[in-house]
Amino acid sequence: MSERPILVVGGGPAGMEATRGLAAAGYRAVLVEKRDELGGTPVSGSYAALTPDFRDAGEAMAEMAATIQGDPLVDIRTGSRVTDASGQAGAFAVTVEGPGGSEQLEVGAVILATGFQHFDPGRETQQYGYYEYDDVLTLVDLERMLKTGQVLVPSTGKPPERLCFIQCVGSRDRQIGNEYCSKVCCGVAAKESIEVRKLVPDCRVFVFYIDMRMYGYWEPQIYWVSQEQHHVNYIKGIATQITRTKDGRLLVRGEDTTMGRPMEVPMDMVVLSVGMEPSPGTIEMAGVFGLALNKYRFIDTLGGALDTVTTSVPGIFACGAATGPADLEDSVSSAAAAAMKAIGVVRRAALAGST
Amino acid sequence: MGLDLSGRQYANVPLQEKQRLFDEVKADLRYDDYLFGCYECGICVAACPSARFYDFSPRKIAQTMAREDVDLFYVMLNDSVWDCSQCFSCDVCPRKNSPGGLITLMREVAVKNGLPSAQQALEGYGRVVYKIMATGTQVSPDMLQDNAFPDWGPHVKDISQNLDVWRRALPPDTMHTTETSWRVDDKTIHELYLIWHMTGVMDMIKEVDEGLFMILQDVMEERLEDAGYDVSFD
Repeated sequence: MSERPILVVGGGPAGMEATRGLAAAGYRAVLVEKRDELGGTPVSGSYAALTPDFRDAGEAMAEMAATIQGDPLVDIRTGSRVTDASGQAGAFAVTVEGPGGSEQLEVGAVILATGFQHFDPGRETQQYGYYEYDDVLTLVDLERMLKTGQVLVPSTGKPPERLCFIQCVGSRDRQIGNEYCSKVCCGVAAKESIEVRKLVPDCRVFVFYIDMRMYGYWEPQIYWVSQEQHHVNYIKGIATQITRTKDGRLLVRGEDTTMGRPMEVPMDMVVLSVGMEPSPGTIEMAGVFGLALNKYRFIDTLGGALDTVTTSVPGIFACGAATGPADLEDSVSSAAAAAMKAIGVVRRAALAGST
Repeated sequence: MGLDLSGRQYANVPLQEKQRLFDEVKADLRYDDYLFGCYECGICVAACPSARFYDFSPRKIAQTMAREDVDLFYVMLNDSVWDCSQCFSCDVCPRKNSPGGLITLMREVAVKNGLPSAQQALEGYGRVVYKIMATGTQVSPDMLQDNAFPDWGPHVKDISQNLDVWRRALPPDTMHTTETSWRVDDKTIHELYLIWHMTGVMDMIKEVDEGLFMILQDVMEERLEDAGYDVSFD
């Protein structure tokens, strides 16, 4: 008996890489994506350039998609969702609803790559006035602006003279419940700070932080570059409040901790470095497949540091930001690990069936 | 009460003036070798002897320059830079910054521009500067006597008692006396005077201590004239 196909849910970087890996190894894959196009959050979130290498996000995602589109081993179903699942490792039955209606598929293993959503800075707390002030943005809003090739203060339409990032918004916060570090926001802020300085050379850019977390090569690639070549100011201290000055500018209040003095500085734009939370799709799929979630409602993985993809249900694996905050490197790496484990499940099932 | 970092004490100095001095420091060829970016990690402060005794932080110097905070720069330029002993222990920086090097540049700018802080910092050294610039040398071992420099501390008395023995223990010739050490070869003195004149050191002295400049000018112009040089220090 031949191997059953492997279901991949989610067409972002992790899902596309898992699918590519399966097909490259000669296994059939069904990729289900609820949106009408592949590319995941980098595309739906209108990312301009990827962190840390400044690659055009749209181009990079299209390149990933091209590796699986048209592959006879890959069945891509966009605009579709998994609504029901039963069975066990080696023999799952899943219901997929798509533009053509509802269909039941037999698959041998499942890879969930359903990703994250950006923290909504107005959800828990209004301390930064995200929904109050037009000139308070998130990393994602700025990304969208960078994609247009222009950075303009929303309320005035003019280029900013002073812009700051506030790190760890929605992350590392017991008050909010997100105790984890979202891993990518430091790098994304550093990358965007460079882009802002390039587009608006007269703009002074500040990053208010708790710790700057620049893993591995991100240190010389974006952090040092932003500081040494683009003179971005990194100030250890998190703003507690944003108000408005009489002349309509934003006023950021915090502590300049390393200088040991209070700080009250005017800004034209404030960018909130929002972190990651589980996407609705991640939580929904965990329900459909009966997977345990962790404390933060990402998909729980059981193998600790040495197995980042095995979930509470045999034959079902999770990768990328569905299991917790992940950068692109993490996402494609765990996707490959998930693909290999899924191949193991369907191959062994096939071998067991043939004896 | 520590150093006031608010900049209030210099609120009357126009921003353009602070910026001009900042730009002068930044324009120095050495600047790019002395400052990359600052982690604000404090390793330089941990290594700094002055930081143990004064309200002084080489980190804040590097930070201020990296942040291009011209108001704070002006505070540092007028206060902190004179607390540094220029030992360069701060060169341990993981980013390869040299806060001590930045201070060198800042001091030079402070002196060249005759800032009150530079005048004040160098005030007590008029005699030393005069001796060094006029003779090329300053202290000789036999000056170490128990009552010569009370400000050097009580241990000078102990040292001076067996000074001859201490000195003989050192390999280089350290047995100069005031007699011999202030007697400098004519050619050497002429060259020293010319170097100080041509490199702008005399201009710096003029900025910070007009009186000292005039005394040195008399001495130097006369000796150079006797040697056949036609040099005016004005």
